[in-house]
Amino acid sequence: MYEAVTATPDGESTVRRFAATAARQGFDGVVVRNTEEADPAFDATAVREAHDVDVVDATEVVADDPTGASGPLSEARRAHTVLCVRGGTPKLNRFAAEEERVDVLTKPMAGRGDVNHVIARAAADHDVRVEFDLGDVLRASGGPRVQALRGLRKLRELVEQYDVPYVVSGSPRSHLQMRAPRELRALGEAIGFDAAAIEAGLAEWGVLAERNRRRRSADFIAPGLERGRHDTER
Amino acid sequence: MKHLPKHLRPRWRYLLVGIEAWPNADVSRRDFQRSVWFAAQNLLGDAASADADLRVLSYEFDAGEGEAVVRARRGYVSEARAALACVDAVRDDPVGVRVRGVSGTVRAGEERYLGRARENSAEEAVVFRNATAQAVSRDGLVDVTVDGGFVGATRADLE
Repeated sequence: MYEAVTATPDGESTVRRFAATAARQGFDGVVVRNTEEADPAFDATAVREAHDVDVVDATEVVADDPTGASGPLSEARRAHTVLCVRGGTPKLNRFAAEEERVDVLTKPMAGRGDVNHVIARAAADHDVRVEFDLGDVLRASGGPRVQALRGLRKLRELVEQYDVPYVVSGSPRSHLQMRAPRELRALGEAIGFDAAAIEAGLAEWGVLAERNRRRRSADFIAPGLERGRHDTER
Repeated sequence: MKHLPKHLRPRWRYLLVGIEAWPNADVSRRDFQRSVWFAAQNLLGDAASADADLRVLSYEFDAGEGEAVVRARRGYVSEARAALACVDAVRDDPVGVRVRGVSGTVRAGEERYLGRARENSAEEAVVFRNATAQAVSRDGLVDVTVDGGFVGATRADLE
């Protein structure tokens, strides 16, 4: 199971500190999804060896509208293993859901964000995962929390209906905000999720990283077309 | 009041909890208990939080790290876990809470899951991001003072 984190300079803990905490809490890895402007610049191999958890190099594209988000998309796709696009308005959500290159649509229900059947279906068709962000349930209170819960419920119903792929995260910004997988599962159950769904959502980050790493490796030519054991270097 | 005959007494489960905070945090037992109650009430509602009946039985906190035993009614462990996960701050100090284990008796739980405090913390001056800063380190984990706040780092992040 993986957790998607925001490290320094945007967050309050370094990648290594997140990795150390993740290892102690029983995660298999962390997905570091800073924005391009706040790139933590870390050596994934060194962190992996020091703390014995996987570290996935990801990025999150944050923009006000689809025009702003589409610009940095190709470069971000090239540079990182996992590409997330921050949702938060219906237009952005729809843009991200219809974009093949995007791996994850994050925080689709935050702010004025909303998801409807069109977006849900588009996300399923284009293999874009939507994120169930438990951050506000863990850390907000009162009105904002109620809104977050309402958003999660609506999203859950659409995801079930249209079989949309999804990921789950507690989106911590410091190691103190990280919660262990069992805690997240218990929280999920308390707010109406299946325990298995939460686990699947946390594990999906790992599946995604694995798939993208294979696609980015030199042996991969196109889906179904790969350099195999019978090919020799020429 | 005379206590209940044994077969009528409620059954409890004890959650052994590890607490983490920045080194300057001062988290008292009373404040932690209040935060747990509030978290449970906000997440589960009055009825279910009364059922779960969370209570902090023993508590220890020093220099950004602590341990507690939280009691919950048997059958409400999952709810208790969820409520504890939602304790994100005590007063204004952000805290990390982790359930290390659950036990049917306080003693077995303490023996098995608590008392693993890491070696004593030490204050020192470190070089972090090309600047000298005060830091508190413990067991290879370093909390560096940056612009009045803290940044969580490890020994390997320092130069």
